[in-house]
This record gives sequence, C-alpha cells and structure tokens, in this order.
Amino acid sequence: MRDPSGFMRTEYEDLVEKGFDWKLRVLEGPSAPRCKVDGKDVIMLCSNNYLNLSNHPRLKEAAKRAIDTHGAGSGSVRPIAGNLDLHIEAEKAVARFKGTESALIYQTGFAANAGLIPQLAGKGDIIISDQLNHGSIIDGVRLTKADRAIFAHRDMGELEKVLADADKKYEKILVVTDGVFSMDGDIQHMGEIQKLADEVGAMTFVDDAHGEGVIGPDGRGIGAHFGIAGKIDVEMGTFSKAYGVVGGLVAGSQDLVNYGLNKSRTWLLSGSHPPAVAAAQLEAIKVLEEEPEHVKNLWDNTKYFKNELISMGYNCGNSETPITPVIVGESHKAKALSDRTFELGVFALPIVFPMVARDAARIRTMMNAGLTREDLDEALGAFEKAGKELEII
Amino acid sequence: MAVFGFVVNPIAGMGGRVGLKGTDGVLDEAIELGAEPVAPHRVHLFLEKLGLLIESRRIGERIEWLTCAGIMGEDDLDTSEIDSMTYEVVHTPAEPTAAEDTKKACKKFLEKGVTLIVFCGGDGTARDIWQTVGENIPIIGIPSGVKMHSGVFGMNPEATAEIVAAFLSGELDIAEGEILDLDEEKYREGEWHIRLFGTARTPYEPTYVQVSKVQVEAVGEDAIKEEIAESIVEDMEDDPDTLFILGSGSTVGAVSKELGIEFSLLGVDAVVNKKLVAKDVNESKLLELLNERKKVKLVISPIGAQGFILGRGNLQLSPEVIKRIGIDNITIISPPAKLAQTPLLRVDTGDRELDEMFHEKQYLRVVFRYKTMKLVKIGK
Repeated sequence: MRDPSGFMRTEYEDLVEKGFDWKLRVLEGPSAPRCKVDGKDVIMLCSNNYLNLSNHPRLKEAAKRAIDTHGAGSGSVRPIAGNLDLHIEAEKAVARFKGTESALIYQTGFAANAGLIPQLAGKGDIIISDQLNHGSIIDGVRLTKADRAIFAHRDMGELEKVLADADKKYEKILVVTDGVFSMDGDIQHMGEIQKLADEVGAMTFVDDAHGEGVIGPDGRGIGAHFGIAGKIDVEMGTFSKAYGVVGGLVAGSQDLVNYGLNKSRTWLLSGSHPPAVAAAQLEAIKVLEEEPEHVKNLWDNTKYFKNELISMGYNCGNSETPITPVIVGESHKAKALSDRTFELGVFALPIVFPMVARDAARIRTMMNAGLTREDLDEALGAFEKAGKELEII
Repeated sequence: MAVFGFVVNPIAGMGGRVGLKGTDGVLDEAIELGAEPVAPHRVHLFLEKLGLLIESRRIGERIEWLTCAGIMGEDDLDTSEIDSMTYEVVHTPAEPTAAEDTKKACKKFLEKGVTLIVFCGGDGTARDIWQTVGENIPIIGIPSGVKMHSGVFGMNPEATAEIVAAFLSGELDIAEGEILDLDEEKYREGEWHIRLFGTARTPYEPTYVQVSKVQVEAVGEDAIKEEIAESIVEDMEDDPDTLFILGSGSTVGAVSKELGIEFSLLGVDAVVNKKLVAKDVNESKLLELLNERKKVKLVISPIGAQGFILGRGNLQLSPEVIKRIGIDNITIISPPAKLAQTPLLRVDTGDRELDEMFHEKQYLRVVFRYKTMKLVKIGK
C-alpha cells in the first residue's frame, strides 16, 4: 500500500538533517530599523525596507483610508471585476515616476517575471541572461520554449559575442538581467547593455528590484540612473522593497502594458491587490516625489557604514549600493560572526557556500534610511567587537 | 573517519622533461637522459595544501590513508605533519616498483572498502587503477604524469587537495570521468593516438540552482546530463530527416539513454528520427552515411580533462568526416562541472587546416543545461 504523502515528512527530515531547512524567525511588531526578532531587540540590517517607507505615516494613513473608502478586498481578478481606480492611479504614478509611457502592476515581483518573460520569447527565439540572475528570472525563462544563453557576470565583451552569435540564428532576442545584484550589491552595466541590444535589435528586460527607490535621481531606478529612462523595453520592479509595500511592476511602453496584461497568466489569474495595498503603493511613489530626504539618508547611511567597516579592516567587496557584504572567508567564520553580532543586537544573516564561493562567505547587510547615526555606531561597535573576538579584523 | 586509498607512481612524469611521451617501459632511457623523480614534490604540494584546508575549514573528519610501502606512498605520508591523518601500509611493492604494484594495492583498497582513491601519476597510472577498481570507487589524481588527458585529475596538486577537502566535507557529487591513454597498438605501428578506454567515477562539484533568496540546491550530474539530452532529443523531433551522429563518452551517451536506444560509450553511433541506424561506426561507414543524407548534425562532448572535443578518443571523426559535416553543424554538450574544469575547448583533428578553421571561430557554443548555452573559447 503506498503512503500518499509520506514523502513530505521524509524530505523535510532530510532537509533538517542537512541543516537546509528554513528556521523562521518571528518579527514581533513592525519591520523597523530597530525591531524585535524572536523576543530580542535588534538593529535590523537584513530587510529590504531600504527607505523605511513601510512605517511612513503617509503610507499607513493612505492604507487605512482606502479600507474605509474601498473595503478590505478587491473582489475579483483585475480582468473581470477587481480593477479598482486605486490600481489605475498607482500605475499612472509608477509610469510618471520612472519616466515611461505606461506601467502595469502585478501581484508580486515573482508573478511579473514568471508571468511576463514566457510571453516575450518562444520557439525560434533566444533569451540571453547574466549568469548571476535571480531565481525568479530563471523560473520565468524555464517556462519558455526559447533557447537560452548566458554571459559571464557583467561581462559586456562576452555579451557582445553572444549577441553577435544569436543575431545570425534567431528571430527575437531578449536580454534579461538583474539591475542590482543582491549578493554583492553591484550594478549591471545597463547603459552598455541597451547600446549593444539596440545594435542588433534585441529586447531588454531588467529586474530592478534592488535598484528602485535606491539608485537614480530620487530613487527612480536603473533607467534614470543610466539616463536611459523609457528606452529599456521592460523595467521590472517590486513594491516590496524600497517602496515598503508589496507587489510587482513593469514599466515601459503602452504596447508592453497592453500585451502584458492580456498575456501574463499570473496577472490574469491572481486576485488583485486589496485597496489598502494599492493606496499605499500610490502613496509610496508620492512620498518619493515629494520627500527626497529618504533616498539621501539611505545613501548617507550607506557611505558612513561602509567606510567605517572598511577602516576597521573588513572586506566589503565590490558593492556600489546599500547592499554591503561583509566578506570574511570560510563559512564557519561567517556563521560565527552572524551569531555573535546577533547576540550583540544586530540582525544580519550569513551567506555561505554554496550560495557564494567557498572562500567568500559573508554577512550581507542592507542599509535602512531610518537608522540614526547612533544606531549605526552601535551596529558598527558590534561588528568591531565580534570581528576582533573572532580574529577576523 | 574517512578511509581513503593513496598510491604514488614514483616514476610518473620522469619521461616528460626529457622529451619522451611517457615513462612506462622507457624508465632506463629517461634516467640516462637525465630525468629525475617529479612525484615526491607534487605529493608534497598536495599534502601541504590539504593540511591547510583541513585546518582553515575546520573539517572535523579524520583521514585514515591505506597506502603502499616506501616510495609508493608511505614515504610521503610519513613526512607530512597533519594531525588529523594517519596511515597504514597495505601493500609492499617489489623492487623496482611496477604497474602491477599499483593494481595490487588497488585490490587491497577494494577489499578494505575505501571511499576514495587518491593517486599521483598520469594517464597510465589512472588506467592501471581503473582496470582494477572500475566504477566501484571514485578516484582523483594529483597530476604528475607526462600524459594527463583523463578526466580524473585536479588541475594541479593544490586543486586536487581542494577536491579531496570538499569530498571529505561531503560537498561533492560523484560523476563519470573518462580514462584516456595512449593507444599502444597504434603506437607500435608508429602512430600516436590517444584512445578512450572507459569511464571511472570521480568527485565533482555539483551544479547549484537557486531555490530561494539565500538557498541553493545541488543538482546531480546525471540529472544535468538528462536535461541536456532532452534538448538534443527535442532537436531531433524538430528535424526528423536529419542524421544525428552521436560521439563517444557518457555525456553524449545520455542522449541515447533518453531515446531508449543502445549506444557505444567508446564509439560513434548514428541516429535518424530518434532511431539507431548504425552502431559503433568507423570512418568509412560514416562517410557512407553522410553520402546518403543531406542534413546532418554531430553531437560531441569534451572528452577527458583538457577540453578536447576532437582528436582524443574519437578518431572515427576524421578530418574528412568533420569537413563533410561542417563546423556549424556540430553541437557541443557538456555538464557545467566539466566545463569548469576545462575552461578552453581544444581540437586536434590531425589536419592543421581544419584545426585552423576551428581556431578562427574563437568561440564555440556549448549546451550545458536544458536548451541553455554559453560561448566557450577555443584554444590551441
């Protein structure tokens, strides 16, 4: 007699044995610069809430107001009866902010990648990816019948060769890449990619999840950062990081939006965002347009924190963004440093082999605009104390 | 505690410096020409690096080496100062040592159930070990020979130490590595050819795929080969009239497995519309098949450690055959782990003009996952 669901327990137990299972930590209260994790008061250095907008009074107020005016849920998918005025307003705000003709909001960033990418290329086409692209892009690519090619991380010489090779054989060519890479905090050469793509008539798609609200003037993202706003075919992003809410988005031409909403099954078949979410999304964009201090604080904090870490003797890699890796070498050292800094009141997770190379294990820190200089000094003190105890610095 | 076999071919590599193509059978000549042993230094580099890695990675597992007396292992292990290692002599070689001693030691390793054999030598040594242990025990070589075409060597002694350390920590997958060596029959006839003898098991870095933001999952070598094979089978479905010539080795063999047809690991097979039309074909049969078919594709994989796609282990694919097929009709497939070991692809077709045509391309496309390719440099 077969055991219909026994595999769940055996596979889970296998993960536990190997130490690969997720041990979920509980955040008691809001995701704030200082918060309570598993009962302990800590300085948060691993959330994506870069600008602390999730706690901004205007966003909270907008969400509450929308519940009063529009209710708790949207009632349907957007193509049938769940398309609220708030959704449309939020999309108009995104296009305005990012300097594109139009924009479309998806339920999540994953839903945007997994829903749209398979519609952009099929049999006889090719999708060209940076080798370090995020898993949600990879899953989107997997759903297509297109051929795939990769280029070495940020290697424009190799991309040029791959494009030249693809130019001869394929109909559509799609270049897809992360904008900011989440392990090292480095930025893709998007200007160069757009130029190379234009030369052969290739489409470009950038996942700007860690760039939106962070890079570019006032945090307008990677297109604005490289002065090519509106030129990238698909600027994909998320409301769950710097914007402080949840949801995915794509910004580009009206053609992209018309096509995307009619073709993306994730968009067509998922319920639409509740009014509170849509209103908070809209308010997040308005706050960014009207209050430039948040992005400025984020960068001031990033520069201070990074410089101090480096002057202590830490290796912060090639980071160009508020993602600052503290690279310590062997895995056991990164784990020990993470454990010790947590004891000292800093929450940041270790990233170890095989996520990164064996000799490049690290703690990945993510800066927050809401941290004060005192908070940063306290966090730096923890890194200094733990680093010296563990003989890393 | 991990129990590993350790065997050193003390004369490996001695022929190389004095211009010989190997050392087997010509040791006296090599010594006369002024050759000196190279193995001890290579082993020393290996053990030194291994000791450092065990310490810096805090690898708790101890190693018990089973080895041969004197210069075939014991002397090297005796002088190394790594606390977490011990050794036991399980075979005492005759004077002078010979390939037979390597084989005898390997029989002991089999009996005692070692989980890995580390050896120092070249293709000849790898072949001696493989003849005894087959695919029963994974093997990994410290490169020290004159010829090192087989896919069971680290790039240098330090790289072999990295592999052994990762194996000790349980981080590696086991996959096939080709055993290549000089074709002695041809050599006696005055020709120098490297032949594919079979596949051994060897530790490999698995391929990792991201499962969540900060988590990746290892994908086994066999699963990767299956994925690649699926791509090729889909190509066959798209082109039912095309003659597919399948080269040697286990990566290409996975295509035949996917099709559920017989295949020759060491030879070349021909397939049309997903059906085997000729097995283990020679050059003249290939030319005959090429006369019958207009559309043709050749599927090959790098064979062994040095990235050769042509000229090692697949001599049926002669210059004339390749020219008739056309370079643009060649599909190269390789699992990522193997590509990581062979950053360059090489050709040695025996026809300089043809080799030059490959070199002019500078890069060749290699399919390394399902429908996924990258450009790999072609080197000299």
